[in-house]
Amino acid sequence: MTRKTRSATAVAIGLGITLAVSGCAGGSGGGSDSSGGKVTVTFWENATNGPDGLNYFKSAAKQFEALHPNVTIQYQTIQNEDLDGKVQTALNANSAPDIFLQRGGGKMQAEVDAGQLQALNLTATDKTNVGASALSSETIDNQVYALPFDTQPEGIYYSKTLFQQAGITATPTTMDELEADVAKLKAIHVAPIAVGAKDAWPAAHWYYNFALRECSQSAMTSTATSLKFTDPCWTKAGDDLSSFLKVSPFQNGFLTTAAQQGAGSSAGMLANHKAAMELMGSWDPGVISSLTPDQKPLPDLGWFPFPAVAGGQGDPSAIMGGSDAYSLTKNAPKEALEFLEFLVTKDQQEAYAKAFQSIPVNQAAQSIITEPYNVSALQAANKAAYSMQYLDTQLGQNVGNAMNTAVVNMMAGKGGAADIVSASNAAAAKG
Amino acid sequence: MSETLGTDTAAGRQSQGTARVGGAGGSAATSPASPRAAARRRGRARMRLEIAVLSGPAIIMFLAFVIFPVAVAAYYGFYRWHGYGAATDWVGLNNYKLIFTDPAFQQVLWHNLLIVVLSLLVQGPFAIVLALLLNQKIRGRSIIRVLIFVPYVISEVIVGTGWSLMLQANGAFNDLLGHLGLGFLQADWLADPKLAIWTLIAIISWKYIGFAVILMLAGLQSIPDELFEAAAIDGASYWQIQRRITLPLLGPTIRIWGFLSIIGSLQLFDLVYIIWGQYISGTAGTSTMAIYMVAQGRDAGNYGYGSAVAVVMFLISLIVALIYQRFVLRRDLRGAVTEGAI
Repeated sequence: MTRKTRSATAVAIGLGITLAVSGCAGGSGGGSDSSGGKVTVTFWENATNGPDGLNYFKSAAKQFEALHPNVTIQYQTIQNEDLDGKVQTALNANSAPDIFLQRGGGKMQAEVDAGQLQALNLTATDKTNVGASALSSETIDNQVYALPFDTQPEGIYYSKTLFQQAGITATPTTMDELEADVAKLKAIHVAPIAVGAKDAWPAAHWYYNFALRECSQSAMTSTATSLKFTDPCWTKAGDDLSSFLKVSPFQNGFLTTAAQQGAGSSAGMLANHKAAMELMGSWDPGVISSLTPDQKPLPDLGWFPFPAVAGGQGDPSAIMGGSDAYSLTKNAPKEALEFLEFLVTKDQQEAYAKAFQSIPVNQAAQSIITEPYNVSALQAANKAAYSMQYLDTQLGQNVGNAMNTAVVNMMAGKGGAADIVSASNAAAAKG
Repeated sequence: MSETLGTDTAAGRQSQGTARVGGAGGSAATSPASPRAAARRRGRARMRLEIAVLSGPAIIMFLAFVIFPVAVAAYYGFYRWHGYGAATDWVGLNNYKLIFTDPAFQQVLWHNLLIVVLSLLVQGPFAIVLALLLNQKIRGRSIIRVLIFVPYVISEVIVGTGWSLMLQANGAFNDLLGHLGLGFLQADWLADPKLAIWTLIAIISWKYIGFAVILMLAGLQSIPDELFEAAAIDGASYWQIQRRITLPLLGPTIRIWGFLSIIGSLQLFDLVYIIWGQYISGTAGTSTMAIYMVAQGRDAGNYGYGSAVAVVMFLISLIVALIYQRFVLRRDLRGAVTEGAI
């Protein structure tokens, strides 16, 4: 009789396990389905800049589906901060979408190492569409793993109206001029520069750009692979930032200011003329326009490159940047690649640039740009002696995050330039 | 398993059963051949089936979502792993060595300790006093009870967002101070590293004191009124009654609350994460072990290292819990434990 009980227990447990396992397995799929000529291509992106971005992607899908009747494109828009975690889980569970937004750098390297991405077999047309320099940052061991859609040169966005009110006639080209302008803007009682230090990276971008000016190109690229911050330029960049902090250029309470959420964020401050400047990548106008009182683009928005730093080893025209690129997962059907190729053609790129107010990667489509800030940014980017990827992308999120946090620490008065270097070195040991 | 072993256990259980059931039919159970004994055994088999069916799902859930993840974390803790594909780069105890030498981890340990101690010291006495007060027959008692309990019911996200908006440098709280003529007290409550931890402790106390008060109230209700009446007749003053009767009899409740508070403080994550975000809690001086785990594990992409931090956190909580049970809760648990053991 005891035996009977035991078997009953076993049955109960077995049943439970079966239920649990089948429950877990239920969520698979989402990959490609090439059988019977019908193909569904799944696509995860982060277009949350109001309806324009999503509408663009939807209309692009319609046009592509009209050309390829057997293909259906399925989008999923995921909030930016949630995207990476979802993609990672899906990749490990073999239920990843065919196309997803690629962050590049250390993350892409890890995905390639795990054999989760498809090397892209690009045609000569694709290569002209995208351009060799844009492809180079998506290349690992001579294989391209992502197709960039835009180029995001970084610089300082500013309000022309506030500059005028403060009596600033020309945009600053050196740090001394920038500091003088900060003083003028304080006199008209606006925050000279907004920074979203709560998110850490916006604050760290100040350090990145000082490093871009202080470090030679070779010092930067060699550190990106060795992850050893021995060149004195890394400390000097920190010193530059801390001496800039002495004129207190940032808004009050910048440590708990977010970058992009709400009117109180740094982008929101610029959108509402509470602050005059913000250092950001080229997605900023899109974010700002969603935060203006009427949710329209800010009419007086301008752009100038990061000022020159006296005595630096880096080229004063060098520019920092990134891009929104898209990768294919290893099981994606060939139609997924065709769709990506379709999206970097001239017409699509023009529509993309309009919808996202950004600079398209396809040079033939760049003439569409009329916004004054984008024109200035594009000119600076084309004139730049060289371009570097954002350091937290380039160095990988492990070292990048540690560096970001250390920069914020220094801005809050905890630690100095040497601590940024030692924190970056320490993080390299953990990953 | 063999049939004999089966009967053996059955016999063993049977004698236990007899002992516990006591007089009722005890003599019949001594002769195993009797039909009543067989019926009882059938009844017992039924009971075991019932136990299996009722507790099975919970046990499976517990194994799948508690024990299994802990084991997996322990496994990944030995690897340098970025969270993509399988873990292959075995590093032994290196992750643990890095954790214990990382000054940032020592900092979060200190913050956690501060939160544990101050939660006990601030919330405990306050909650007891409030519970004594609310146990009196006063006007509007139930509404005051509800009001004190409200912060505990509101979700952490709402509490965190609300306070972080009010306590901004240009937020409502500083504005209020300014209008009250207390402008000299204005401060950057969240961002100033000297203040932030105290702000956090104030918010925690506000949020969780309602829970402590409700527990204490429940404890107070379980003390028989006769004791108070007897003491009053003997001429004890109000404070003597509280000190000599209420507090000692409230002991088990206070100790259990202390246990819950300590464990909660060790695992504090949500409030800090909502108010300070994923990056700057270390800068503001409010980071906790769980925050460190997320920052160094998920956000930095070092899933191996993060798993090792999770294991360290688990062990610290486990050790604290065991010590507390062994030395503080022993008296309260004795009844429950011995009944099951013998």
